[in-house]
Amino acid sequence: MQGEFLQQLYPQPPAGQVRRKLEEFLNKQGLRYDQGIQFAAVFYDSQGKIAAAGGLQKNVLKCIAVDEAYRGEGLTASVISALRSAAFAQGQRRLFLFTKPQNDRMFGEFGFYEIARTGDMLLMESQRGGAQQFVDSLARGQGEQAAVVANCNPFTLGHRYLIEQAAAQCDTLHLFILSEDASLFSAQTRMELARQGTADLANVLLHPTSDYLISAATFPTYFLKEGQMEGGAGGALDLEIFGRYFVPALNIKRRFVGQEPFSPTTARYNRQMKEILPRFGVEVTELPRKEQGGAAVSASRVRALLAEDKLEEIQPLVPETTWAFLQSSEGRSVAQRVRQSR
Amino acid sequence: MKITKAAAAGTMESSDVYVEIQPADQISVQIESVVFQQFGQQIDQVVRQVLADHGVAGASVSLNDKGAVECVIRARVETALKRAEGGEN
Repeated sequence: MQGEFLQQLYPQPPAGQVRRKLEEFLNKQGLRYDQGIQFAAVFYDSQGKIAAAGGLQKNVLKCIAVDEAYRGEGLTASVISALRSAAFAQGQRRLFLFTKPQNDRMFGEFGFYEIARTGDMLLMESQRGGAQQFVDSLARGQGEQAAVVANCNPFTLGHRYLIEQAAAQCDTLHLFILSEDASLFSAQTRMELARQGTADLANVLLHPTSDYLISAATFPTYFLKEGQMEGGAGGALDLEIFGRYFVPALNIKRRFVGQEPFSPTTARYNRQMKEILPRFGVEVTELPRKEQGGAAVSASRVRALLAEDKLEEIQPLVPETTWAFLQSSEGRSVAQRVRQSR
Repeated sequence: MKITKAAAAGTMESSDVYVEIQPADQISVQIESVVFQQFGQQIDQVVRQVLADHGVAGASVSLNDKGAVECVIRARVETALKRAEGGEN
């Protein structure tokens, strides 16, 4: 059966005609082409039409579909094998798969286990119980517990203000810094600056998020630039995961979040938070932004100033620890990178 | 034989088996199989036998089996082992 189809692997994001054919094929299958796709496996029939396809973004398998005419011939297995091998060759060991809820049994047969679902999305992972193992590994707090999830790209006085306010209103504040390396400052730097910037707050517990909060797997559109966003899928799945795993494991009763005046993506995420988290017994508290010089302190403002090489205007927006990093040679090379990318 | 890195072999096509091997202190074998009820134990024995034949003392092996026959399972595990040893990619 295999011989009837031509397998073509695209190690670069598909472009031009391939991309157009792929988009058309996926639309016909009721799927939308995901712009994050970095690698694609496509199977063509003898007429050169797409019979089956699938994409890979880092460690996430997505947009997997088989034409109705060719179902039942084992093409899904071929697509998954191709994507898995590619991911494995890239050093990805823990894989995720993004699909529609009705496909849970089919992908279950290929060694993927459910993490969470919404009405129209299902996220699975190759490691059985991976999400649970991750939350089980996190340090525990005590008493009234709350959470803040932030990228801190980089850590500003705005983050400091939010965390200080939140920490004053609970016994333990779990502070999650995104582990996804898709931001200007590396995950390691963001974590370290957050640690330094909150070192004096005794009831703050700092955690990584691995792939389980606001990652390419749980919330792919978060990392797209504004304008590339399409529709409202957004953060619903991410919030389901937070509610299903993090909330019970850490006994979280509140989630604090800063008001979002700039980014439509984050503003929408905040709205979804208020809809979804109360179902898990979590109260969402939106705190006003700290202002400085008539404008809200935000990491995006810091990055913009960095790009314009206005270092002296950054100083009043960040704590001393972040300021010291920006002046270090490592910090200066980050500034150089953002200027070059403009 | 010492397992120094993660490696994989095989596919998830019908009658094949997809094997992943990772370095570990002890031997652990995880099996997903469409015929687990009937042959799960036998597959486990085959895998452990191959590991023993190659003098592997520590490895975490996971199989996703689509009904592969014994010689195929043996071959896929051996290939993965050799890749995990560091020779071939």
